[in-house]
Amino acid sequence: MKQTLLKDFDLLGGTLIDPRSGINKISDLYIRKGKIYHDMPKSGPSPNTHNIDGHVVLPGLLDLRAHNRVPGAGKSESVESLTRAAAKGGFSSILAMPNTNPYSDNPATIRYIQDRIKQTSKIKVYLSGCLTVGSRGESIAPLGSLKDAGVVAVTDCPDTPANNQIFTNAIRYAKMFGLAVLDFPQDSYLSKNSHAHESPLSLKMGLAGNPRMAEEMAVQRALLIARHLGVPIHLSSLSSAGSVQLVKQAKESGIEITADVSAHHLLLTEEKISDYNTSAKTNPPLRQDKDRETLIKGIKDGIIDACNSSHEPYAEHLKDVEFDLAPRGATGLETAALAFIEAMDEKEPFSLVAEKMSYNPHEILGLSVPSLAEGCEADFVVLKANEKWVYDPIDGESLSRNSPMCGYQFSNKIKFTISGGRIAYQYSPNSI
Amino acid sequence: MMWHRKSLLSIEDLSPEEIIYILDKAKSLKESKGSKEPIFHSLRGKRIINLFMEPSTRTRVAFEIAAKSLGADTISISGEASSLTKGETLKDTAMNVQALGADAIVIRHSSPGSPLFLSRIVDVPIINAGDGAHEHPSQALLDIYTLREKMGDLRDKKITILGDILFSRVARSNLWGLLKLGAIVTLAGPSTLVPREFEELGARVTYDPEIALEDADAVMLLRIQHERQQASHFPSLTEYANVFGLDSKVLSGMKKNAIILHPGPLNRGVEIESEVADSNQSVILQQVANGIAVRMAILHLCITREESNH
Repeated sequence: MKQTLLKDFDLLGGTLIDPRSGINKISDLYIRKGKIYHDMPKSGPSPNTHNIDGHVVLPGLLDLRAHNRVPGAGKSESVESLTRAAAKGGFSSILAMPNTNPYSDNPATIRYIQDRIKQTSKIKVYLSGCLTVGSRGESIAPLGSLKDAGVVAVTDCPDTPANNQIFTNAIRYAKMFGLAVLDFPQDSYLSKNSHAHESPLSLKMGLAGNPRMAEEMAVQRALLIARHLGVPIHLSSLSSAGSVQLVKQAKESGIEITADVSAHHLLLTEEKISDYNTSAKTNPPLRQDKDRETLIKGIKDGIIDACNSSHEPYAEHLKDVEFDLAPRGATGLETAALAFIEAMDEKEPFSLVAEKMSYNPHEILGLSVPSLAEGCEADFVVLKANEKWVYDPIDGESLSRNSPMCGYQFSNKIKFTISGGRIAYQYSPNSI
Repeated sequence: MMWHRKSLLSIEDLSPEEIIYILDKAKSLKESKGSKEPIFHSLRGKRIINLFMEPSTRTRVAFEIAAKSLGADTISISGEASSLTKGETLKDTAMNVQALGADAIVIRHSSPGSPLFLSRIVDVPIINAGDGAHEHPSQALLDIYTLREKMGDLRDKKITILGDILFSRVARSNLWGLLKLGAIVTLAGPSTLVPREFEELGARVTYDPEIALEDADAVMLLRIQHERQQASHFPSLTEYANVFGLDSKVLSGMKKNAIILHPGPLNRGVEIESEVADSNQSVILQQVANGIAVRMAILHLCITREESNH
């Protein structure tokens, strides 16, 4: 066990922001046996005390799209580095995606990953399983056995079954087990071999384009299936302005749909790839300002429920190739929460962070929502507002460096991540 | 003006002055061909490596002749014969090529942006000889050279590029070059191969061959790459020939002195009928010949980065 169990600790003077629990106050936090107390216990202060005067404390963040590379590609990311990167980025929990090698479509692979988590993780890792065998979209994965093994959600992310019958039946079947279904909406034919958003830019760069319609058509399909079956579906990583409109109409008509967006898509546009920067080759592709602005508005209007990291690590040699040969995907765990705050561009962005990165993600997976109230499990993040710093993935915990945020100046900094009553990350000036 | 560029990666990067500078250099090389001017030895002792990861005949041969005409040694590496087929990355191949003492690398590759990628890895000049559907600068320069040879200043001249524009690096490089020199560029072909978005890059787009050709001063035909696009982009070569093929009947509806260009290889009977390809208005073989002078200019300028002396 690499975990350092700091059973008890005190964080003094922070500003607690937890609207769902009706908390918005400056208060000390005394953590005893993993539980939160606002007043000093009779046993007195802990020797492990930190002053967090002027810091903001938010309920624990959960990332809905962290791509796990174990088994299969531990050089790109180990379970340990994945969870350390998450903790450094302020996440006390992540949902690991099932596109491992072999795919997480069988209990044995799930148990192997769980073993690695138990050995090395300081945060909570929830597992998703494949919706279809090998995420090939040809036959339904053994979802009952996956549920028994411990998965909380099923998805073929970063893919989706092309066959509508199999997709519909797989969802119907998944719901029998109460599993959350995440769909990564992207028409496989319209997006085939694409390397960038379809636009004048991709045209002049000579890159095959991924049109907005590739996503919107798949969003429309998911909405129709959700309506037809009367079951909720969660749409992962929207990137197109048109998708936001479709989800808005669906919600207004009572369809049970939730959706998220990656932090990259709230902050960046296709311009990032204009020098063939493979780290900005994301999936879905970065699109245009119009999309970015609509996605931000969607977040603020409650149409988009959550923000994810879309963390897709690739070892340096896999990305240091010709643009069209580089795999799609970028790292994001270390920057997503802070990028979300930057993108919101609000004086008081913290309630939105709690809503979109803590409460809603937990509810989408059917998990209880963390709280800063007394007696609750300590599961929260401490960040310092108005502290400028420049991100360089070389200083990060991820084994991969394919971040499009390299060189970005953030105005907030994560100082502590507390997961399941324990300190999972603590900022130290020496470690950057 | 002075020539500063070490590499020629795209036409989009170039200023109009730089384009004219290369073309003027090509002209003086063409005119003094066979003379004993020192420029014909300017690359003596230099080793130029042609790294051709995609099949090519005329471009590779033209670069080879151009290099040898300036006194350089050339070595050609083709995709099939290189270690890339053994799993070596382009990055490693390029570093090895540099370590072998290349003074310049001429690269043809199916990946857009690969010459830029190379230029960040190695220190020697990189000449883009075609990167995927991105650019083919030397082809555009020789096309523009040929156009100017026939028509003089290209300002306000109407040039139509007809065919598979979507997958064509030749179309993109010509679009940039022609626009920079003030020409009016019309892109035409099947709607599936000529996205409207090209209008945002400054071109006119039409799917009506008659409109595309009626007032054109020159038409540049592009090869239909049927092996790649058939089924998903147009029904058949016969249909393409019927709708967009340039035959003598279509030619008779064009301006009398309009000229016909084609970067080759030709698909006779598809985008161009034989009688048109071989007509007086066709400059297809002049293009090939001019390709040598233009590539000599490119190699000379990028490798020696000479200062202007005329």
